[in-house]
Amino acid sequence: MTDVSPSPALRVEGITKTYGSSRALSDVSFEVAKGRVHALVGENGAGKSTLVKIVTGIIGADHGKVFLGGKPVRFHNPVDARRAGLAAVYQDPKLFPHLDVAENITMGNAPVGRFGMLDRKQMYALSQAAFDELGVSLDPHALTAGLSVAEFQFVEIARAIISDLQLLILDEPTSALTPAEVEKLFRIVRDLRDQGKSVMLITHRLEELDLIADDVTILRDGAHVGTYPVSEVTRADIVQKMVGRPLDSLFAQRTPGNAGAEALRVEGLGLAGQFSDVSFSIRAGEIVGMAGLVGSGRSEIAQSCFGMTPPSRGEVYLNGKRVKPRSPRQMLGLGLAYLPEDRDAQGLIMAESIMANVTLPIVGELARLGVLDTAAQRAVAEEALATYDVRATGIDQIVSLLSGGNRQKVAFARWLATKPSVLILDEPTHGIDVGSKAQVHHIIARLADTGLAILVISSDLPEVLAISDRILVIAEGELVDDIEAATATQETIMMAATRSTGETVNVG
Amino acid sequence: MSAENAVIAAAAPRRSFGRFALKLRVSGVVAFLVILGAIFAVLSPQFLNAQNLSAIVSNAAILSIVAAAQAVVLITRNLDVSVGSIMGFAAYLTADFAAQHQGIGPILILMPMIIGGMLGALNGLLVAYGKVSPLIATLGTMSIYRGLTYLYARGQEVTSNMLPRWMLETVDLRVGGFPVLVILAVVVVAILGAFLRFFPVGRRIYAVGSNPVASAYFGLRTERIVLLAYVICGVLCGLAGFLYAARVGTVTVILASGWELTSLAAAVVGGVSVTGGSGLVAGAALGAVVLATIDNGLVLLRVPEFWRMFIQGSAIVGAATADVIIGAQIRKSLQSRRRGTI
Amino acid sequence: MTVFRRIPQWELLLIVLTLCAAAWSSNLSPYYLSVDQILLSTRQFVYPGILALGLAVVVVLGEIDISLASILAFGAVLFSKCSEVGMAIWLATPLVILACAALGAFNGVLVTRLRLPSLAVTLGTMGAYRGLAFIVGSEYGYTSFDSSYTFIGSTKLFGALPVSFLVFLALAAGVIFLMHKTVFGRRCYAVGNNKEAAWIAGIDVANLKTQAFALGGGLAGIASLVWIGQYGSARGDNADGSILLVVTAVVLGGIDINGGRGSMVGVVLALFLLGTIRNGMGLANMAGPTQTVVLGTLLIIGVLRPLIARGIARLRQQLASSGHAGN
Repeated sequence: MTDVSPSPALRVEGITKTYGSSRALSDVSFEVAKGRVHALVGENGAGKSTLVKIVTGIIGADHGKVFLGGKPVRFHNPVDARRAGLAAVYQDPKLFPHLDVAENITMGNAPVGRFGMLDRKQMYALSQAAFDELGVSLDPHALTAGLSVAEFQFVEIARAIISDLQLLILDEPTSALTPAEVEKLFRIVRDLRDQGKSVMLITHRLEELDLIADDVTILRDGAHVGTYPVSEVTRADIVQKMVGRPLDSLFAQRTPGNAGAEALRVEGLGLAGQFSDVSFSIRAGEIVGMAGLVGSGRSEIAQSCFGMTPPSRGEVYLNGKRVKPRSPRQMLGLGLAYLPEDRDAQGLIMAESIMANVTLPIVGELARLGVLDTAAQRAVAEEALATYDVRATGIDQIVSLLSGGNRQKVAFARWLATKPSVLILDEPTHGIDVGSKAQVHHIIARLADTGLAILVISSDLPEVLAISDRILVIAEGELVDDIEAATATQETIMMAATRSTGETVNVG
Repeated sequence: MSAENAVIAAAAPRRSFGRFALKLRVSGVVAFLVILGAIFAVLSPQFLNAQNLSAIVSNAAILSIVAAAQAVVLITRNLDVSVGSIMGFAAYLTADFAAQHQGIGPILILMPMIIGGMLGALNGLLVAYGKVSPLIATLGTMSIYRGLTYLYARGQEVTSNMLPRWMLETVDLRVGGFPVLVILAVVVVAILGAFLRFFPVGRRIYAVGSNPVASAYFGLRTERIVLLAYVICGVLCGLAGFLYAARVGTVTVILASGWELTSLAAAVVGGVSVTGGSGLVAGAALGAVVLATIDNGLVLLRVPEFWRMFIQGSAIVGAATADVIIGAQIRKSLQSRRRGTI
Repeated sequence: MTVFRRIPQWELLLIVLTLCAAAWSSNLSPYYLSVDQILLSTRQFVYPGILALGLAVVVVLGEIDISLASILAFGAVLFSKCSEVGMAIWLATPLVILACAALGAFNGVLVTRLRLPSLAVTLGTMGAYRGLAFIVGSEYGYTSFDSSYTFIGSTKLFGALPVSFLVFLALAAGVIFLMHKTVFGRRCYAVGNNKEAAWIAGIDVANLKTQAFALGGGLAGIASLVWIGQYGSARGDNADGSILLVVTAVVLGGIDINGGRGSMVGVVLALFLLGTIRNGMGLANMAGPTQTVVLGTLLIIGVLRPLIARGIARLRQQLASSGHAGN
């Protein structure tokens, strides 16, 4: 489809992967040409990370083939992949903090001298040579624990280039870097490309494409949309291809009801290193969407309001009263509930029953003198089961045996049992089937009609557009836009979510 | 955002903070030892005389080997509370064997090490392959090994006149003025330290404890490495048990009971982190010297013996607290750098 | 549902094993099946049993406290001090229980506020508290307790039924009720299953853990009251080495060492099993060391239980799939 050299560095053919009932990747095929920087873009959940995991052997594909340098390969773990010349650097590098830099670089294939002893001299020389080649000034003797994220990544890249590297995969490397660090990283990427190596760059920052990428592949909903030379597509084209999903007919377009008094207001909220100067308000009966890229600080803002990570500056007003969020317990008591994104790890207690989960936050109120009132608990759980249409064998069923959608309904029931006035939902429809999704949307709308103020964090733009009255867009830890849902489109949101990034880079 | 970051950047510690913290921890032990010595020297005139100092290091010698052995296991994020039982088991069997074969030469020393290695291997299998919590597994084997020693001994003990003469004489030798036990302990700890530092396997032992997730990404065979750590620990405990038997002459079934706590205290005081990945065997050996110094000082000051238990226990808690605080400092310094500071 | 079904199975197994052990014991000795002998034999299990109840609560929360036996020693010594100054027992008892609960709470505070691993903390305080017991008492111990102090631990009703056993049964019933019927227990299991989710659901995890450690300490205080009555003495080395039996009872009782799973009933049943085995071994004149080896082996079997259960499940699955397809 583009001007690729005869034998590409990487070719994937018909890659398909399903998790339960949801399809993460379907029939994805494309090529990464030798000696080029290839960007992989797509919305949150488009399947980029899954693809990287399959290529590097962390997980297996259901169908499809991977070719490296023209040869079919099937790696069982990242070590196999590295041996074959394919290395991946992740956003949160996996290194050994207690060991020094050179040890991390050479771990697993360290130079060995007499009696099978480590050749430390050679080890430091190799590491130094790798840094020299990358043009990075890092001391191979330094302890890894003290490095910055960018330095972590340089170590990983050094680790990659000391073996015979063919293809380097960078998974959202720039999201935690300063502009100067990004520039340094890109210089390294260009150098690698000039040496004939290939680089695959997964990124959210579209402005980086013009700076660094030669080709771009766009994924949408686990499917391959297209691969183009960067010079032939505009950023607007790319955004449009990324978000070009049909508005699901299941999404009932919301007709805003009568918003009541202000329920939640935050002013100048900030948390060091996470987000800063965020101000917005939500009124009773209003549904406010919060859009933004993964890592933009959306969840962190919500968790700060909920007291999980108390904010370091700014003010939070709940129903007109100023509160200082300190702990979830306190905020629940004040009427603010938060449904976490990682439902299975944080939202529910998987090994316990539906009843135990639904009543956990209010178990004290249902008890008499500290003794459990089983009848009252059963009543609450039975009601929840009926109200939210949870498909289960009964309230004693263990939550881990439910489907994703039904688990989410249980999680909903739990938080609503606390009778909150403000509800924050973090990716409430992530990883659940279409039918349950629609049900969740109905529940949200119904709750708003009963006077709840609801903040919905979602990466699903059509969803945000359909269910929200108003949409907040977060980028780089800042609130960059506050728009009426009626006037917003997927493109305007995506542009806002990526535009701010461009400004930041130009500043650096 | 940028204004906030500038503040963080100004406050951000230097790159070598982690290494600095580690140095601080090790030099902290040395400083503690010096202060301790100074206090005892002031309180008791006998403390600083050469004979007393020599007694301290002799007493510390065997413990330093066990503490170093314990440290190897701790570094992999595990622990071994069966060390005392391994020492007792290996020592008793070996002493009994020697009593029945009077002519046996120094080759005998291999016997306790092999026995210790086998017992350590069983611990390692349970922990690494059975995925049993290390405390529970070694608590179980602690009583099994000790119980088996009792059963084997049938109420008997091996007295010094039953042991080969060379065994008893060798441990009392002095080479160039230094007790041979001290020289041996230094050699063992040095070899172990060199093994951990200069061999790829040694670095993997650290790696496994430092970050288990990364270990998997790096393709390290975690189970084997943990097993190896337990085997090393067992071998050294066997050796230490033998030396202890030779030193005290009379080998009873309760030999070295209670050493699990003492060895852990020595290792932790010496800067080996209970959360894995960090610490030096030399530090653990130094920790043994600290404990021996405290013991010695308490005797000189006529403080009742049972204060020792209180001090050892408090030392574990205190040292673990110090580690956690230093760890938190490192984490904080890392977190403040997360969103780019340059 | 399967989880619910599996737990009673384990308890059933414990009961069956206890019966087997009893049958074996009665084979060994003609004295065994006398009610008097069995009742009397319960005495030596009362104090480790009470410690096990406390430890079980702590383990359900995903923590561990191996300093409990040392707290017992401290409690016993404190009782001796109270007796020495002639304090009335009804005043001394709450005082000692509170002091022991405070030691437990101190463990909890170190674990939750400083975020130290509970193993390291209690390993340290195990030594420290025992040392403290010696420091408070003396090297020689104390044996001249007032008879009011030894009533609970030494009295036998109807010539055979130890009062201390009744105390144990009452405490066991109390802890079973606490952990399975109250808000406190409900929260403990939630925290043990998933600390973070429980915290997000509004549970004060740090406080709850500290309370559990304090409860364990308080129970150790009651155990010390039983101890002084039973043995008539108090010294810093009291109950030294009994932590093995205590941990074994908890693990064998089916409490998951990682927290969140297992019932208190299982712990009580495991104590009966261990008691029966030990009683039988005693009657068979088996040496203490043999008993220790058996105990250690049982402990390891107890922790390997999930592994064994998984093996059985896999075997069952294979049998089922080879038999007929589907459910």
